[in-house]
Amino acid sequence: MAEGLRVQGLSVSYGPALIVHEVDLEVGAGATVSVVGPNGAGKTTVLRALSGLVLWEKSSSRQAGVQLVGEVWFGQERVDHLPAHQIASRGLILCPERRRPFREMTVEENLQAGAYLVRSRKVAQQRMAEVCRLFPVLRERGRQRAGTLSGGEQQMLAIGRALMGGPKLLMIDEPSTGLAPLVKQPLFARIREIKTLGIGILLVEQDAELALSMADSGYVLSQGRVVAQGSPAELLADEVVRRSYLGL
Amino acid sequence: MIFADILIDGLVRSGVYAMLALGFALVFGVGRVLNLAHTAFFMVASYGIFYFVGIGTGMPLAIVLSSIGVVAVGLLLYKLFLESVREMEATVLIASLASAVLLQELMLLFFGRQYGRVPEVFSGFTRILGVRVGNQELATLALAVLCLVGMWVLLSRTRLGLAIRTSAQDPEVANLMGINVSRVVQVVVALGILLAALAGAAVAPLITVEPHLWMDRLVIVLAAVVLGGLGSLKGSILGAVILAFAEAFVVFLLPGGSYLRTAVAMAIMLGVFLARPEGLFGAGIEEES
Repeated sequence: MAEGLRVQGLSVSYGPALIVHEVDLEVGAGATVSVVGPNGAGKTTVLRALSGLVLWEKSSSRQAGVQLVGEVWFGQERVDHLPAHQIASRGLILCPERRRPFREMTVEENLQAGAYLVRSRKVAQQRMAEVCRLFPVLRERGRQRAGTLSGGEQQMLAIGRALMGGPKLLMIDEPSTGLAPLVKQPLFARIREIKTLGIGILLVEQDAELALSMADSGYVLSQGRVVAQGSPAELLADEVVRRSYLGL
Repeated sequence: MIFADILIDGLVRSGVYAMLALGFALVFGVGRVLNLAHTAFFMVASYGIFYFVGIGTGMPLAIVLSSIGVVAVGLLLYKLFLESVREMEATVLIASLASAVLLQELMLLFFGRQYGRVPEVFSGFTRILGVRVGNQELATLALAVLCLVGMWVLLSRTRLGLAIRTSAQDPEVANLMGINVSRVVQVVVALGILLAALAGAAVAPLITVEPHLWMDRLVIVLAAVVLGGLGSLKGSILGAVILAFAEAFVVFLLPGGSYLRTAVAMAIMLGVFLARPEGLFGAGIEEES
């Protein structure tokens, strides 16, 4: 069910600005991997590249001079040349930064949009039930416009929406941004629960301690490069990493 | 009596303008293309009706043929002139305006300067609550209502509708849900042209068919869309209805009103802007960054 992800030599630049530089990264099938690092390290760009959004920007000439090199393998398939919508159809699904719900649509419609690729009504209903079990507040607010939800609820909606597509590997970008500690803790408890469903997770997070505490392995990114990697315990024990990159 | 006439005239205008404005707003909302050639498709479609009815084709078949033809021509123009410059707004404006003029000149070339009258298909009157209403007006109104209801069902009840609405709100995230946004844009462009073509077909028997038909309709559509709030489909329809009734009142009640109708439309638009710059339903399109 779960698939592994292997990234080799991923570099992304926007014009003269090199944002991601030769990043190698691996997520075993069903594993949870956290990518941490300071603001502006290129973490979000890595996820945007993996999900096909960098390619989308490049093709739509929205941005001049977008360069993307490197190989991305998902399971047995090379996916770095696939358009974003096809990457999603392979089960490599991104829950984007800043949550980005469809604000004018209801919570329920947002979840339906997440299940766009699910042809079977029965499967979609099962997923909806599963997502609502995980985040009961989404059922309560089903008919409410997504834009009226609180930040924490919007984050749950964004994760729920991504789960509706049936990810084999779920990429989550900065879920804790702007959330109060009281909201953060239960949210991460839910993400831990997603782990137990047999879904792989690639988590990008600024809150390094929280993110690493739930991961099988971790990467530290700084200025577009991987500066450290290893088990969460090793990374958190490394004084240099803690002080220079994680601000702990 | 005159208010009954204004009501009927206003409703017929509302239907036609709403179809035009809805298509325009859809193409802008999803494709981010401000297509100034939009009402030229309306004009070509009414020529299509004029031509096909003239060679003896029945009205239903004439509507189907001219709609297919206009959608084909419209998609071709979109592919040739607009798609590649989609991200450059100023270029889109110039290219689409040029496309409209191109279509206008082509119609002049084929049909000459003589103005076309399409014979009424549904002649005679029906009495509704003691008021005589032309059957052709009723047919035009019925076709418009049918198209608008059809679009509403499509947008709110179908999988394609879901794809269209999500692509309009946040194309990037729609991509992440597995929606092929580029294809959705193409489908929406085709739907927009189809709506314009059907509007032209519906109203052809009630108007004089001529090559400059697109100009004042374009002004109305632009006014309706910004009046309702750029990016809001509901708003574009409401804007169209308001302007249609304003026109009907001006035409029936003011001496020389038919010369003033576009000016009045513009005045209403400006008035709304002074009070509410974002338009009536101007929640605005979600900012991407």
